[in-house]
Amino acid sequence: MRHPTEGVLRRLLDEPAGVADADRAHVVDCSDCLAVLAAARDDAHLVGAALGSEGSADVDLTAAWARHEALAAGGSARSTSARAPRLAAPGPSRPGRKSAAGPGRHSGPRPSRLRAGLRRPAVAALAVAVVLTGASTAAANDWLQVFRTERVAPLSIATGDLFALPDLSAYGDLAVTSEPDVHEVPDAAAAAAETGLDVPAVSELPGGVTADPVYQVGGKVSATFTFSAEKAARAAAGAGEPLPPVPPGLSGSSVRLDAGPGVAQVWASSAGAPALVVGRAVAPTAFSSGVPFEVVRDYLLSLPGFPDQVADQLRSFAADGSTLPLPVPADQLVTTTTQVDGNVATLLRTRDRTLAAVVWVDEGVLTVVAGALDSDEVVAVARGLR
Amino acid sequence: MSLINDVRTARPVAPDADRPGRGERVVARSGPGHVRADLAEVFRRDYALVVGVAARVLGSRDEAEDVAQEVFLSLGRSSVPTGQARGWLCVAAAHTALNQLRAGRRRAAREVIAANDDTLPDVADAVVTLEERRRVRAALARLPHKHAVALVLRHSGLSYADVAAALDLSPGSVGTTVRRAESTLRKELIRHASSD
Repeated sequence: MRHPTEGVLRRLLDEPAGVADADRAHVVDCSDCLAVLAAARDDAHLVGAALGSEGSADVDLTAAWARHEALAAGGSARSTSARAPRLAAPGPSRPGRKSAAGPGRHSGPRPSRLRAGLRRPAVAALAVAVVLTGASTAAANDWLQVFRTERVAPLSIATGDLFALPDLSAYGDLAVTSEPDVHEVPDAAAAAAETGLDVPAVSELPGGVTADPVYQVGGKVSATFTFSAEKAARAAAGAGEPLPPVPPGLSGSSVRLDAGPGVAQVWASSAGAPALVVGRAVAPTAFSSGVPFEVVRDYLLSLPGFPDQVADQLRSFAADGSTLPLPVPADQLVTTTTQVDGNVATLLRTRDRTLAAVVWVDEGVLTVVAGALDSDEVVAVARGLR
Repeated sequence: MSLINDVRTARPVAPDADRPGRGERVVARSGPGHVRADLAEVFRRDYALVVGVAARVLGSRDEAEDVAQEVFLSLGRSSVPTGQARGWLCVAAAHTALNQLRAGRRRAAREVIAANDDTLPDVADAVVTLEERRRVRAALARLPHKHAVALVLRHSGLSYADVAAALDLSPGSVGTTVRRAESTLRKELIRHASSD
């Protein structure tokens, strides 16, 4: 049988009932079609995020209708040719509303779905990286500790790679067994008491950052990932490739992820957005339930959808055994290394130089200094922490 | 004839749309100063959808509402059957927004440059958002017109049958058109992201 067209495969994503049974049956068993389907799904996801509007469900229908009636009454002489729309023509406007064609007209800094789409996979990638990175170092009950963060290293990932990273939950069950319960506390002493951490004190605030910080704390978060061959097989089919043979004993094996507790000090800018954040947390650790970690790591790395470039980088990190890869969207951030208190630290800044952060790990405790600052300023704050 | 052609030639009333199908509600052609009787009903039903279509093109809620008002004014003077009004409105909104987008590309570029010149920390998010919008909308404006309209309508939630009817395509062609548009847009986004 010939392969269904790309158009048919595209419709399969949105309206499978609209695709002929014969075509659907063909796709299930055709690795070529599954690959095309996976590419179509990725593109649809990316474009859907890129075109995401800021929502229209909450339109003020009453105000809109009133505006329409006013326009219809007062603007009847105006041509509404769709070829040459003249939306800037004077007409009744909502109170305080900016002119449609006024200079410098643009909306405020609303969250972007595209940017959210870029960030969510990064979080998932971090979870994957925690699972994948490290080597066995100690036993704890029946759990084998396979990872403990000792330092942080940058891992640059292009935007396309971020979208292509596999979601860990597609390959098993991710059960959160302990929630962080993030909340505000009155001062550093209370934060230290709740978290058991030394709360860093900033010796000198950067210029423009004033007032006292707000302290937020969160408890330990713990989750267990249990590999599922069945789920992995479904995910592989969705990615357009067959599932690689599952190593003996891997199906049903678990990896436990622990992170926290942590504390964050947040200084707000005059506009209300964070101007400076100093955070500290017990770094993530991962434990395997006995299956050799190298088996879990190598198998997960081989799963369909994992970019080759990222996989190669992760393998090199894994050999080190004590590095937390920090997925970074390479098209938005620049990363370098620096030193903070004798530790290798990762320095990140946005390409437009409006945001910077420095992060390092010392004896299993991760510290980050970030803000709407220059790189030099965040490093100065980091090195001045007491 | 497809609705898109009717809109592009600035004829708010599609000849085919004037011929209601069996059981379709007939809307009397409006005279000067009059509007169609079902306008309030259609407005309530479809205004949010039309705003959503335009917002996907323009990336701006305010500008999208301007476009929605524009096309509802056109609908009010038309005799498009009620049952075809939704598709007509969506195509008109997508087309009008795309035209506005193309006309406004130069202005938008200037806005982004101006925003980037502003180094106040608390506008950092706005700068990033504007840059994203500029990139996406510029890529959208470069797509073939019909591809762009099909893409926007599909991502606004219209079914393949609705998009096909609005653009005079077969449902299978809708899939092909949307797929090609998505592939092209993705390549444009990646290419421009990597060249920054």
